This record gives sequence, structure tokens and C-alpha cells, in this order.
Amino acid sequence: MPGWCLAYIRLIDRVTLRVGRFAMYLLYVMMAIMLFSSVTKILHMPAIWTLEMAQFVLVAYYMLGAPYTFQLDTNVRMDLLYSRYSPRGQAIWDAFTVFALMFYLGVMLWGAFDSTVYAFEMNEVNPTAWRPPLWPIKSIITFSFLLMLLQAGVHLIRDIATIRGVKI
Amino acid sequence: MDHNMIALLMFSTMLLMMVTGQRVFGAIGFVAVVAALALWGQGGSAMGFSAVMKLMKWTPLLTLPMFVFMGYVMSESRLADDLYRMFHVWFGPVPGGLAIGTILLMVMISVMNGLSVAGMAIGATIALPELMRRGYDKLMISGVIQAGSSLGILIPPSVVLVLFSLIARQPVSELWLAGAVPGLLMATLFILYILVRTKLNPALAPPMPPEELAAVTRAEKFRLLRAGLLPVFIFVAMMVPFLNGWASLTEASVIGALAAVAAAVVKRRFTRQVFEVATRQTLAITVMFMLIITAALSFGAVFDGLGAGRAINDFFLNSLGLAPWQVLVLMQASFLVMGMFLDDTAMLVIVAPVYVSLAKTLGFDLVWYGVLYTITCQIAYLTPPFGYNLFLMKAMAPPEFTLPVIYRSVFPFVLVMIATLILVMVFPQIALWLPQTVLGR
Amino acid sequence: QDTIKWRLQTYAGPALAEEVVKPAIEAFNTIANGQMEIELYTADQLVPTSELFRAMQAGTIDAVQSDDDSMASPTEVTVFGGYFPLALRYSLDVPALFNSWGLKEIWEEEYAKVGIKHISAGSWDPCNFNMKEPINSLADLKGKRVFTFPTAGRFLAQFGVIPVTLPWEDVEVALQTGELDGLAWSGITEDYTAGWSKVAPYFLTNNISGAWIGHFFANMERWDALPAHLQQLLQTCFDQSHYRRQWWYWAGEAKLRVEGTDMTLTSLPDADYAQIEAAAQKFWEEIAAESPLKAKVVEIIKKYNDTMVKAGQPYRYG
Ligand code: NA
Ligand code: NA
Repeated sequence: MPGWCLAYIRLIDRVTLRVGRFAMYLLYVMMAIMLFSSVTKILHMPAIWTLEMAQFVLVAYYMLGAPYTFQLDTNVRMDLLYSRYSPRGQAIWDAFTVFALMFYLGVMLWGAFDSTVYAFEMNEVNPTAWRPPLWPIKSIITFSFLLMLLQAGVHLIRDIATIRGVKI
Repeated sequence: MDHNMIALLMFSTMLLMMVTGQRVFGAIGFVAVVAALALWGQGGSAMGFSAVMKLMKWTPLLTLPMFVFMGYVMSESRLADDLYRMFHVWFGPVPGGLAIGTILLMVMISVMNGLSVAGMAIGATIALPELMRRGYDKLMISGVIQAGSSLGILIPPSVVLVLFSLIARQPVSELWLAGAVPGLLMATLFILYILVRTKLNPALAPPMPPEELAAVTRAEKFRLLRAGLLPVFIFVAMMVPFLNGWASLTEASVIGALAAVAAAVVKRRFTRQVFEVATRQTLAITVMFMLIITAALSFGAVFDGLGAGRAINDFFLNSLGLAPWQVLVLMQASFLVMGMFLDDTAMLVIVAPVYVSLAKTLGFDLVWYGVLYTITCQIAYLTPPFGYNLFLMKAMAPPEFTLPVIYRSVFPFVLVMIATLILVMVFPQIALWLPQTVLGR
Repeated sequence: QDTIKWRLQTYAGPALAEEVVKPAIEAFNTIANGQMEIELYTADQLVPTSELFRAMQAGTIDAVQSDDDSMASPTEVTVFGGYFPLALRYSLDVPALFNSWGLKEIWEEEYAKVGIKHISAGSWDPCNFNMKEPINSLADLKGKRVFTFPTAGRFLAQFGVIPVTLPWEDVEVALQTGELDGLAWSGITEDYTAGWSKVAPYFLTNNISGAWIGHFFANMERWDALPAHLQQLLQTCFDQSHYRRQWWYWAGEAKLRVEGTDMTLTSLPDADYAQIEAAAQKFWEEIAAESPLKAKVVEIIKKYNDTMVKAGQPYRYG
């Protein structure tokens, strides 16, 4: 395989891993926010931001974590036929169907990017009393779809390598 | 092209895409965005992304990672070991006793988590080796573990019922309570089946040898009963504040997760390893769910935009000219067939909105319908060729559990589940009695 | 010739849409006689309400029924849509302000800037509290989690109310499960229609706005592509829809207060309500300070109310 391919794989894999490991711990941030919410409610001084903040963190959690699950290969497949193929057979098959995945991720990235630009231009805020700006969460979503797309590219390169019988 | 034709094409393409073995969310999402772009041009590009924003506002989804985390803490820290040992000692001497014990263990695990994954993990790591050692029939072992763990989504807490509550806009508290009695009924029927089966063919499930039983002291037997307190503790810690309105659903789920951690810490089993695996697997499962729901929501929105929902409604209500209960039977039957091929989360988000509105139009109680739907999901987990529990079993069990063995093993249990489904359909009070009594609706 | 098809999504859930938009759509489709057909979608059905505006701009949806506030329109006038606290006393105040006092031109211009045709503004129901526990004083509102509009929420926060925004369809369940203590969302007619009267049975007769400002909008390109007679038909059917709502609410509000069996009525002491009125005046000034255009609208609202007070009964009592 050409050197730039290997460099690309190494770079994306490393970024995905870092981002994913960070996202993983957001679980505890969610817990903390919701605990804070119930404690302040019991003390009769509830805050207006907790629920929305928890929602933002949930989105960041699974969006930033998503590329990492590509790496872990934990996204469910209906693999009755697929699982019977040889590793090479699977790679050939995947090298085709991954384009469907990439198309979907590409359209999601397009939508997310448009929406983020809009959020910046219009200074869009969540339509609530707290009115937090939406550009941070929308930027995170856009970044995540981009990374997922790049990670799908990593899979494609790996599949091609497997087809050629090259080990990476 | 006629809109109904496009809708049909979308649906069949999606099923076809699923068979390719590509990730389920990719298969569904691909069909959704292609259709959106074909129908609405550039304007359709926002459709897929809209689903992400819609999900953000679905507050009860915050419970999903909590319930998943709870399940992993439980299975990874082997909190259920003592529990299993308890059933082992108390039911071991009965013919089929260990299988019955496994079902009871699954009921206990179901009380402490909202999915079937934890049950499968615990079943495969704790119950399976013991049942093998005891010389149980492979079909019996595989069937008991898969069927038993599916109770996790019917007996409260249940993630599937949380998702249903979002689609049907019904209170989670009522849905959860409505799942309790049917869940226990189903467990009872499983046990009855095991008893009858072992009575007819004792070789399937040999009882514990007397000498091994004699080795267990009376004191030991009673000490083990204490293990049963754990599920009670977790269940009470979570459900009492929730049902009394002291904590919201999302807050209760955090309490549940922390209760599981507390139990593991007290037993000195909350190791670094448990922390790492539980945290990572929670991310993996949550992402899997969320990505499928996101894709399925866009699919559902495009489907709806084509007027497919209306067409299906119209077909059932006007074209067929059936009585309401006949429509209900048809809906459940089609769910069962779809469940054989389709991912249950996708099924929920794409098909359930149509069926829920149909059920509502026909005047059925949506809480009751939610229970019927959940039982259908349980069946879908088990019916070949595609089912979560089937896949998990293959992944977790030793190699002698081949796919044909796993497929054959679920058959009698699926029949028992269908029997439960029919019972709940004919006698809605099995589901509705508890919520009516507790919440006075 | 092919039928022109439009997709219109309303902010309202199915039960409410049945009353407040479906009759107008059905009337339009009947009169259009196959030349054009509007398909109606309810809240969140095609796109979430928060993305409604962008979807209309992008053409995923052709037309929208909503107030400016809940759909988060990126315009200067958004804050006045929905319930701008105590700016309106009666439902007729809305058409008066839009058609005789110049708001219509301002709205049309502001929306044209972002590629949207403002078709028609109408007055909908008042905004009262309906709560799970009785409210007998301003202090009773403190710490209550209330489902309300963004702007109303901003205003109410000073009285210790915790404003909550949820998808409309989740409100009933949130009341049942204790995530909400009540609503500041509608009048009593809507409370009964949505089924909220059963789960939040205390109705506070003092409103924070006597009517709601809501609109019909369309994607500008799609609007421009229509022949003039269909544009006129849309305009007429939507105007008529506001009129239908007006009497539906006007009759319903009075009748349900007297004859409704679900809800118990409570009221604030005059001194407490006066406090809210004073706070509203202050809130208007805060909004006016945000931009010249907002100042212009506030000025019109102030002049209008001033005139109404001077005109005396039946325009204003006291
Ligand atoms: Na459960
Ligand atoms: Na299945």
C-alpha cells in the first residue's frame, strides 16, 4: 500500500481513539448534571440549564463516540450471510457496501455543516428560556460526521489491503 | 412514480441492504437520504440531520446509557454469582431445577436492568458452564438463556418501553408497571414448559447428585438467600423515588446506575477492569442504538412524507373492512414476520408510529398495546434468521453451540412467548391491572 | 396539468391540529379543486419544530403554521410572536395591530429578508397558567417547573418559575410523571382539547397575555411560483382559519370556565397581578433597548395600549 495510505490510517485512527476515549467519560458528566438537577430540585432551587445541558452532553457523547465504535466494530450488522464469508470475502463485500455508508454519512455531514453555518450566521439559540447558542453542539455534530466519514475511509483502505493480501 | 410504490421500494431496498451485512444504521440511513434527495432535491439534505436535533429533545433517551451502564456493571462485576449459586442450591435437586433456577435468575436480572444484553452475558458466563457441567441438553441450555434474558425488556425497567413511550406518548411509569405481570406470567410459563419437558424426558435435565447436595450446609443454604436482597435493593432504590414522583425518570435511571456501582463497591468487585469495560461498552451500545434511531427517524420521516402512513392506515381501516381485533391480530402478525428480518429498534421507529396511530384510531389502550409490542420484540430477538439474542448466543457460547443448535433451541420458547402474547391480547387486564391499581388511572 | 403539491407542517399536535388548522386545509383543497393540494403534517412529524424554519427555507417543507417564538425564527420580531407579556388584552387586538397599526408591513419585510413569505397573522388563545396545584398568590409560582414559550419563560423567570421547553406532544406525559408542575401555554379551551385539564386541574384566571400571535408562512420561491388566484385562495383560507379560531376560543373560554368539570379556577390578589403588569412594562423596555426595530414595535404596542385605555370601556376596564 502507498505510504500516504498508511499515514492516513495512522492519523485518523489516532484521532478517533483520542476523541472516543474522551467521549466515553462524558457518561459521568451526564450523571453529575442529572444528580445536580435532582439535588437542587429537592432544595427548591432548581436551575434552568440542567436538562438542556444534559441533552447537549448526550449528543456530544454518542456523536463523538461514534467514530470510535467503528474502530471497535460494535455497530450491529445483519450478518447471517456476511459472517459465513472468508475474511477476504467480507473485505470484497465491504469495499462495495461501504460506499452506501459513506454516502449516508456524507449527506449527514452536508446537513450538519449547513445547519452549523446557519447557527453561526444567525446567532441561533435554543428556543428556550435559557437560550444557549447552538453553534457549539452543531459544530461538534459536524466534526463527528466528518470523522466518521474519514474513519469509513480507513475501513475502505484496510479492506482493499485485505483483498490484495497485504497486511497493515 | 406513485408514492405508494416509492414507499414500497424504500422498504424493500432497506431489507435488501440489511442482508448485505453493512452496518444496520448505514443500510437504513442510505435508503432514507437517497429517497429524501430524490424527492426534495437539495432541500432533502437537511432531513437526515434533523433527526439528530429531534433526538436531542427526546429527554427520556438520557436513560439509555444509564440502563446500559447498569447492566454492564452487573455482569462485569459478577454481581449475579451469588444469586445464581442461591438458585443452584435451592432448586438443584429438582429435575430441571437448574434450568428453572436460570429462568428465575433472569427474572432477577431483568429487575435490575432494561435490556437483554446483560442477561445474555450473565447467562453465558455463569449459567451456561454450570448447566453444561451438569449434563443438560444443549438445546435446553441455549433456549433457556436466550428466552430468559429477553425478559429484561418486559419486566421493568425496560429500555424498549422507554422508546415506545416516546413514540406513543404514553407515561413510562404506566408502561413499566404494565409489563411486570405479563413478564412474570411469561417466566412462569417458561418454568411450566421446563417441568413438563423434563418430566417427559428426564435425560434433558439431570438433577443435582445427592452427594453434592449433602455437601451444602443448612447455614450455607440460608446465607445464600441473602443474595436475593441485591435485586430488591436496586429495584427499590430506583423505582420508589420514580413512582412516587420524587425523581424524574432520567434521575431515577442515574440512581439505578449508581446503586449498581454501590453494590459492586460493597462487594469489592468494582475493579479498574470493570470500570473500563462498563464505561467502554456503555458507549458502544449507546452509540449503536442512537445511530440506528437517527437513521430510522429520517427513514420514518421520509416514509411519512410520502404519505405511506396514511396509505397503510387507509388499507387496514377501509380497504380490508375488518373488525378492530382482526386488524390488531394482523398488525401483530406482521410485526412478528418483520421481527424475523428487521432490527427491532428500526422497527420501532419506522413501523410503530403507523401502528400506534392505527391502534389509537381503533380505540385500543396504548399502554396495553405497548406491552404487546414489547412481547413481539422479545420474540423478534429469538426468531431466525436475524435476532439479537441469536447473535449474542453465537458470539458468547462455546463452539459446540452451532447456529443450527441455537436456531432449533428457541423454537419451544417462542411458542410459549406467543402463548403469552395471545393471553395478554385476550385478557388485557393481565397488563393493565397493576398500573390501574398502583396509579389509579 | 399536474396538481401542485405543498407540504405544510403545523406546530400543533394531532388533537389540536384537528381544530386549528385542518378545517382550513380541507377547505383549501376542496376549493382548489385538484389544481393544488396541501398535505398537512402535525408537530415534529417531518422535521422537529426547532428545525422548522430552516426546513421551510430549504424547501423540505413548503409552508408552516406557527408562532415566531416556538419555531425560533431568525428575525428581529421573533420575541413578539407567541406571547409578548401583557401586550394584548383581547383577541381582536392582534388583527387591529397588524392591519391598522402597521405590524403587518414590518413582519412581511423582516421575513422577506430571510426568504420567507409572511402570509397571515392571527390571534389565537390567551395564555393562562394551568397547574397541578392551586396558585393563589405570586409566591405559589416560585420553584414551579412550567412548560412555556421561550419569551414568556424569560419573563416569568423573575417570579421564580423554572421555564421548561419540551416537544408539545410530551407535555401530558411530563405532567403525569412529575417532570412538569404545570403550563403557561394556552387558555382553557386548549387545556381541555389537549387533555391537560385532567392532569393539571387548576386554572389561574389571570393571564399573562390576552391572545397569541400566530402566523402562516411559506417558502418565498414556492409562493412566487403560484398563480395569483391560488395565492389569493391561500391568503383567504388562512385568514378564515384565524377567524374560526377566534370564535372557537372566545366561545370555549367562557363556556368552559362556567361549565367545565375538570378544572378548578383560582385567581391572584389584585396587588400580585399589578406586580406582574409592572414587570411587563419593564420587560418591554428591556426588549426595546435590544435594537431599533424592536424599539419601533414596542413603541407601536405602547401607543396602541395607551389608546385602548383612553378609549375606555369596552376596550379596557380599569
Ligand atoms: Na428490565
Ligand atoms: Na428475529
